[in-house]
Amino acid sequence: MEVAANYIDQILIFSIFALSLNLLLGYAGQVSVAHASFGAIGGYGAGYLSITHGWNLFLGAIVGAVVAGIIGAIVALPALRLSVEYLILLTLGVSSVLLGLFTTFPQLGGTYGLIGIPPASLFGYDLLKTSDWLIPLAVILVVIYGICHRLGETAYGRVLKGIRDDPEATQSLGKNVVWFKVAIFGITCAMAGLAGALLAGFNSLATPSQFSFDVSLSIFAMVIFGGTGNLAGSILGAATVILTKPLLEWAVSLAPEIASLWRLTLYGLLLVVLMRLRPQGLVPEGARLLQPATWRAGSTTEQPSEALPQHLAEEAQDWKTSAGSSGAIVAAREADWIDQPVVLEVNGLSKAFGSIVAAEDLSMVLRKGTITALVGPNGAGKTTVFNLLTGFIKPDSGSVKLNGVELIGTTPNRVANAGMVRSWQDVRVIPRLSSVQNVMLGVQEQDGERLAGLFGNPGAVRQREREVHDEAMEWLRFVGMDAFARESAGALSFGQSKLVALARVLATNADVLLLDEPASGIDRQWVDAMLGLIEKVREQGRTVCIVEHNLMVVDRLADHTYFMELGRITDQGTFTELTSSPRLAKAYFGTA
Amino acid sequence: MLAVTFETVRQLVASGIVNGSAYGLLGVAFALILGVTGRFHYAFGVLYTLSAYFAFTLFDRVGWPILISIVIGVLITVVMGVGIEAFIYRPLAARAGNNSLLAIFVASLGLGVAGGNLIQIFWGAQTHSLLGVTIKPIGILGANVINVDVYAVLAAVLLVGTLTALLRFTGLGRSIKATRSNPDMALLVGVDPARIYLVVFAIASLFAGIAAVFAALKYSVDPTMGFRPVVLAFVVAFLGGTSNSPVRVYLCGVVIGLIETISSIWLSVRWNQLVVFVILVIYLASFSFNRSLFARIRQVVARPA
Repeated sequence: MEVAANYIDQILIFSIFALSLNLLLGYAGQVSVAHASFGAIGGYGAGYLSITHGWNLFLGAIVGAVVAGIIGAIVALPALRLSVEYLILLTLGVSSVLLGLFTTFPQLGGTYGLIGIPPASLFGYDLLKTSDWLIPLAVILVVIYGICHRLGETAYGRVLKGIRDDPEATQSLGKNVVWFKVAIFGITCAMAGLAGALLAGFNSLATPSQFSFDVSLSIFAMVIFGGTGNLAGSILGAATVILTKPLLEWAVSLAPEIASLWRLTLYGLLLVVLMRLRPQGLVPEGARLLQPATWRAGSTTEQPSEALPQHLAEEAQDWKTSAGSSGAIVAAREADWIDQPVVLEVNGLSKAFGSIVAAEDLSMVLRKGTITALVGPNGAGKTTVFNLLTGFIKPDSGSVKLNGVELIGTTPNRVANAGMVRSWQDVRVIPRLSSVQNVMLGVQEQDGERLAGLFGNPGAVRQREREVHDEAMEWLRFVGMDAFARESAGALSFGQSKLVALARVLATNADVLLLDEPASGIDRQWVDAMLGLIEKVREQGRTVCIVEHNLMVVDRLADHTYFMELGRITDQGTFTELTSSPRLAKAYFGTA
Repeated sequence: MLAVTFETVRQLVASGIVNGSAYGLLGVAFALILGVTGRFHYAFGVLYTLSAYFAFTLFDRVGWPILISIVIGVLITVVMGVGIEAFIYRPLAARAGNNSLLAIFVASLGLGVAGGNLIQIFWGAQTHSLLGVTIKPIGILGANVINVDVYAVLAAVLLVGTLTALLRFTGLGRSIKATRSNPDMALLVGVDPARIYLVVFAIASLFAGIAAVFAALKYSVDPTMGFRPVVLAFVVAFLGGTSNSPVRVYLCGVVIGLIETISSIWLSVRWNQLVVFVILVIYLASFSFNRSLFARIRQVVARPA
């Protein structure tokens, strides 16, 4: 009985390690091979306070968790912009430094560690036997699971997954990626610190080998086994890794020392096999343990077709029939352009990379309820202009004023919050989120994206989440993609994902939309639908700027056109004026 | 602090160069793999250790002459390194697509863990000595080293020099560099990246095997002998730059070795093991902040507007 309890306790403790690492690795996409060393902070902290100051272990565990969380958040700072290989190396280095520090201090027992931590007590009861630990550990695990679930599977988790798959696109929708990363590093490291303190209390000792790099790797393995991005899987993974040892001792009757060697060998080999046969782990992201795998597929009885949504197809048809008169309409609109109020004013924007001039003294205005087009040959710097306007590239000089407020010097997410949002030439939908979740990511002001709201006001979060979902569905309906709401965005065709990306940009409710080649790479029928949608957006009074190569598109949409060459705006006017300029016509439009 | 004699400094510099040379050699090998193939080859450490065990077994247990044992031991390691690439990493990369770095790291981690424990199952956890080369003290410019140290540094310089010449002057070297900068383009001009990857794994495993044998001759053979030098090799590879010349990476290793030993003038032995990692963390932190700049430049220059 006590033997069984011992293993169950270990599974409970390591489940906390695995759950928190999964939140970091599977949801936020941040690789860490230092998780056990953050456990060491908690373990040594709680053990030291318990031995020298007679603190209750659980009190010490909270202190240890807080310290681990703070150190975790500090480690996140250099990790912010690192790619996977550098993160592996950084966390490996952090692990070495932390463990090295713990073995250096004689007060912490040097290489032997802290031995003889007094038994923990809870509500006056001492936890002496291993079975005494079962209930407290189970309760703590449930609480941790709840927290992880709340962080991973609500609005907050949606942002984390966005950061995991495409940090820049997520930032362009107004999410403070830096803060999310630091927070999730801190939170998960605090959880590791708590688990470490519990492990130290449970074993009555805190030693370097208990939190060694190998232990970090085995926690990593638990998460991989269980499946990244699936919390229930992590508990299964922890059980698998821990139970291999008794299973080997019992089934093959190996001696304990040899069994632990074989256990590590087996799980090592299992990792290799798993990567080959089932890289998503035992329980893949999005799957549930207790429901049949076909559950999701069964709910959408009718598979949506690849064809253009019905009402868009009709509109496209309408436009073709009325195309003859569009010239006159365009001319009328161009006359109006100059009367509209200025929303965005760009003055003297310049940027050079060494000797390459990306933008030189750019000045332009976007006017309310109009579509402005930015045209020019390849390499003219059109996309760079979008990068400069939205803060992804800092200009050397110049000013960008949105409704009179200066945007230069702020971060891309602040620019989005201020009301100017861009789309991407290469679409950049989050592939592992469904279409509707992608659009929900665009909605601003979500209580569920703030930690305080998430845990302080669950009712309001639930209410807002419903609203956000309805809003997102609304926009999906607007672009005609509502039938695909539950499809994962990665499974959509290019044209479909462009429509979802448009819905996502629209869902931000930004006044100014910068659309990077909205009609490129999709076939004719879809182009018509897309253009119809952009015209509707203009009718709603939003301000649109497009970068476009297709002159037909510019001709149909643009109220005003800027012409760019080699980082400079060399001409502007109505599209007709530009095409009738003899120089441009000869050089670029081929319509002399 | 002034009590530090010239003798001590000379001695520390000598042992710093000896240690650093080994880190440099391993760093060059790891950087070659990471730079050309993009694989985070964590199992590198196990291959290193295995090489020492093979040489030890052939010499001590089978009774072959030391030189032949070493050559065969290192060759087995090379075959294993190439096998890992051909039968494990390559199929994984084909399957995992864009996420291959993490998938390969996990598989490599698995290999490393499994290999390290298999070594203990077969050979036991105890330390073995690889004898066979008589250790003789040698004085160089007043510093005391042993003959094995001298051989190790000479071998490292020779190997790194050969690799540099290979990369610079031969067709194979140009193919490797082409694959490093762009595998798809290399394929278009008739270089087969799959074959180049195998060559790269062979070279890197050779380097690791030779470094391990010298470490075994100087110290001993034990299951964890690979961990620290290989982690330092990761550090050296990143600090030196995975797409830079091997000479530069090697010198970076020597500098790390020197920092490690010379810091012992001021710090206790325990602390100076930390120094390297503290440098690494600071470097990565500064790198992280500068990198955003470089990443943006590349993004702007590479992406046609």
